[in-house]
Amino acid sequence: MDYAVHILTMIAITGIAAVSLNLLIGETGLVSVAQAAFAGIGAYGMTLLMLHAGIPFLAAALFSALIAGAIALIIGAIFLSLREVYYVFGTVGLNMIVWAILLNWDSLTRGPLGIPGITRPEVLGISFADNTAFLILCAVVLLAVFAAHYAIMKSNFGRVLHAVREDEEAIAVLGYKTEVYKIVIFVISAALVAFSGSLYATYLSYINPSAFTVNDSIFILAIVILGGLGSAYGAIVGTCMLVGAFEALRFIGFPASIAGDMRQVFYGLILILFMLYLPRGLFGKFRI
Amino acid sequence: MDAVPQIVLNIVIAGGIYSLAALGFNVLYSTTRFFDLGYGAYALVGGYAVLCLYKWVGINLELSLLLGVLIAGLTGFLTEKIVYRALRARRASNTVLLIASLGVFTLGQAALAIFFSSQFQSLSRDIASQRLFSIESGVITATQLLILTAAFAVMGILVVVWRYTKFGRAVRAIADDEEVAQTVGIDSERVIGAVYFIGAAVGGIAGIAVGFDMGLQPLGMTILLEAVIAAVVGGIGNMYGSVLGGFLLALVENIGAWQFGGEWKFAFAFAVLILFLLYRPQGILPK
Repeated sequence: MDYAVHILTMIAITGIAAVSLNLLIGETGLVSVAQAAFAGIGAYGMTLLMLHAGIPFLAAALFSALIAGAIALIIGAIFLSLREVYYVFGTVGLNMIVWAILLNWDSLTRGPLGIPGITRPEVLGISFADNTAFLILCAVVLLAVFAAHYAIMKSNFGRVLHAVREDEEAIAVLGYKTEVYKIVIFVISAALVAFSGSLYATYLSYINPSAFTVNDSIFILAIVILGGLGSAYGAIVGTCMLVGAFEALRFIGFPASIAGDMRQVFYGLILILFMLYLPRGLFGKFRI
Repeated sequence: MDAVPQIVLNIVIAGGIYSLAALGFNVLYSTTRFFDLGYGAYALVGGYAVLCLYKWVGINLELSLLLGVLIAGLTGFLTEKIVYRALRARRASNTVLLIASLGVFTLGQAALAIFFSSQFQSLSRDIASQRLFSIESGVITATQLLILTAAFAVMGILVVVWRYTKFGRAVRAIADDEEVAQTVGIDSERVIGAVYFIGAAVGGIAGIAVGFDMGLQPLGMTILLEAVIAAVVGGIGNMYGSVLGGFLLALVENIGAWQFGGEWKFAFAFAVLILFLLYRPQGILPK
């Protein structure tokens, strides 16, 4: 039972990241391999604000999501003029730099040692120290993010995003400033995934840079590809499957030293095979 | 200022390795117009093949090197045949190809980590017995000189083959316009297959050089990024450009590392890439 609660919590936290990435790659056609970097910014931002400034969880998490959004604003503006492939490559580099900062800025992040002793949150006087209570919190956040995704895509703003994905030049001719739309969705996506990073930090009560590498971004990308582009529902199904597979691989009993690499082999295969045979993904509405 | 001669030498050595990495990437990208992230894995395969043959099986050095380069080339060739060719035949978008190549990269890197462990491993059998050459207060090893020579040799060979042979003309025709090349009777699939073999083999040489100079780790992203940055800075489609870009990248990285510490080396390299993509996307020496 405890174990089921743990898996569901990880699914909820990862699901937020996957839905946030679907806004970028699935709905707007912007392939980003930097979600883990923004999750890291969120997790470290929230942790430092909570432990050093004594700010309560919710305020700290929202504030660090804002920080992540502000960083995404700057990065998004710089990356705008990068053509498709270089845009993707830029996000890979960004993730590596953020990781290097987390790893090497010892005085702030304690480097590879990580930061222990992150307490579970108390929101509006309710304590979430209990695992089941915390799962409910994560599920509520996931639901809220899911609803936000739905609202965005039903709005005029969302329709323009779809148009950018289908034919950016055509929509630009109609007078829409596609740059603004692309930056705004990048900022929204970064802020959402940063919030999931905060949940992750407070759930495990410990963070270190190794949770926010390019490989972790590839994991989130594999989820969205598997679930299907342009479908928030698919992103969540993909999360259930891959987080589930992640846990199942644990039981097959690979030696610990290669378990991580076995997972990477698995994600790599998903990316290759889906591109070859099912580029739409399981529930995708859009074929890249 | 005693450190300066050694820093200059380090720049020259790193420049040689980056040039090799960039040349292979340039060969692939300028011909197929497809950004293959799997290149990082082909380079690693070259290094690890030599590790296996030379240090584990105990084959002599020359044969191990030759086989290592061939195995790297073959890896690229087969990947193209199995994955990319099918995608291109279906006219898959660049994004699809890119995501598939990210899969190739992830899979290849992790498979190497499983077979060879994530430990740092050097290709040199006996580092202490290497011949050293001193220049001022700096030191360069015989191996490093060999790497440097290899970089310029590969550049020379590629320039000659690309410019003066029938094969080279076919490659350039495909790079300009694949469909036109096909209508004048060029078998583009065969040529692209050969190009993939050559590009991945050159990448393998770079991987082997890394293995001898610094040691191998199953982390292909570093060599991939250095290859891409040097190739873009120098100018895609220009062999001299890749070497120029390689040395320029080494210069920026090493000066950055000297002033701010080695852990920020990559951040400097990446900043160079972004600056070039924003202000001179065609590179220093355009095609």
